[in-house]
Amino acid sequence: MTTSPSTEAPTAAAPALEVAGLTVTFPGTGRRAVGAVVALQEVDLEVAVGEFVAVVGPSGCGKSTLLRVLAGLTPPGATVTGRSTGTACGRSAAWMPQRDGLLPWRRALPNALVGARIAGMDRAVADARARALFDEFGLAGFERAWPHELSGGMRQRLALLRTCLPGRPILLLDEPFGALDAITRRRMNAWLAGLDLAGRGRAVVLVTHDVDEALLLADRVVVLSDRPGRVVLDLRVPRDGTAGARRALLEALDPAGEAR
Amino acid sequence: MLVRHRWRRVVAPAAAGLVLLVGWEVGVRLSDLPAFVLPPPSQVARTAVEVAPLLGTDVATTLTEAGLGLVVGAVVGLLLAVLIAAFPWVSDTLYPLVTLTQTVPTVVLAPLLILWAGFGLLPKIVLVALTAFFPVLVAAVTAMATVDAEHSEMVAGLGGTRRHQFWLVQLPASVPGALGGLRVAATYAIGAAVVAEYLAGQSGLGVFVQRSRKGYEVDQILVAVALVAVLTGLLFLLVDGLARLATPWQRPSLPSRPGRTPL
Repeated sequence: MTTSPSTEAPTAAAPALEVAGLTVTFPGTGRRAVGAVVALQEVDLEVAVGEFVAVVGPSGCGKSTLLRVLAGLTPPGATVTGRSTGTACGRSAAWMPQRDGLLPWRRALPNALVGARIAGMDRAVADARARALFDEFGLAGFERAWPHELSGGMRQRLALLRTCLPGRPILLLDEPFGALDAITRRRMNAWLAGLDLAGRGRAVVLVTHDVDEALLLADRVVVLSDRPGRVVLDLRVPRDGTAGARRALLEALDPAGEAR
Repeated sequence: MLVRHRWRRVVAPAAAGLVLLVGWEVGVRLSDLPAFVLPPPSQVARTAVEVAPLLGTDVATTLTEAGLGLVVGAVVGLLLAVLIAAFPWVSDTLYPLVTLTQTVPTVVLAPLLILWAGFGLLPKIVLVALTAFFPVLVAAVTAMATVDAEHSEMVAGLGGTRRHQFWLVQLPASVPGALGGLRVAATYAIGAAVVAEYLAGQSGLGVFVQRSRKGYEVDQILVAVALVAVLTGLLFLLVDGLARLATPWQRPSLPSRPGRTPL
């Protein structure tokens, strides 16, 4: 799939990515498989082109594992069964780790170009696009900064820029602002919501444990249960007022109602 | 606090050195030791001034051998490390052998090298390179083997292949390690060159030492010893400075002060 983001209208029907019956098992150690863990069980997920889907769930429910499998990063030793299309066909997805993954020996601009280089983009094109995105991401003027000279919020934005730059049709974001303090995080989310990532003919999957973040950013929210992770709710976020959706999500996340 | 720190680091060792020198001077004068056994430091200093104009070529020779040997050793060490990191079979077959070669102290090989490579610069450069490549190799291999998973996963998650992993992550990650190894190697280089010169050669500090020994000119030997120490120190500082230049992303290893990171 070649993307020319300005002209190409998203083909509504075709899912950008689809997994069915995805089960991920960590076999445990020793002959008796001590500590064997089923991380994900029979997970179905379909994301359409132009759709922003958030996956929420309690800690350890396997949502990061789900994203890794989608990115083609099967965790070592894990057994993966099920059917997946979209991401599996090689290099259509770009994954952003929880920690920013910036290379300390590259300045900000070269760090942003890592994804483009892997995608085999033309240098001049990538460079021009990166400079434009530096503006858009509020990083203008920091092109020559070393990663350790940047604040946490800037590092995450740079990592996101690196992920967006190659123009891959699927973006996989693993708690992109999870490590930030609450205020910076809220600011980043507001900014991200205005960025309209999925509107550029792309599909976005965002993993988070924050219901409000999911509601703010996503068109659809998928709730995973406690381990083993199963899909317990798949909710389209209504355009007018999210109070009802919020209640439904919290209920799905905490069925026993202990937290309420 | 700071004053005390500086006092301990500079003044204290300097004072200890001075006491040692004075003790040596007084001891030699009181005990009537002959100068061909142990000359007093004052005489060593006088000799140093006397022979200084003659030592230029010797110093140049030794520095050339040490410098070229260090460069060759570093390049070979880094190349081997790259091969070991890139190809598991190279690692399996070569790494144990390379480690085994280090059970032979390299200076023991000096006579063989002179037999094979003659009396010129070459055997000395080879010997210095043999001494220098191992610390570089080990440090670089270790650095490449312990690459931060965060970085390699990032590259994989963007669709990177093994080739991308190597060029984008492994190779640059090995640089600080290799430079650390080079710092260690720099401290051996001059010594290795001098030992090689003991055995054969037309010029060099080692040749100067041998000539002085035959004439029982202990003061000259001591001048050479001091010179080796100074040159080794200078070479270390040079390599250290180059290493800093080559890794500008590395933060100075000061204890982190609060409020230094911008937010």
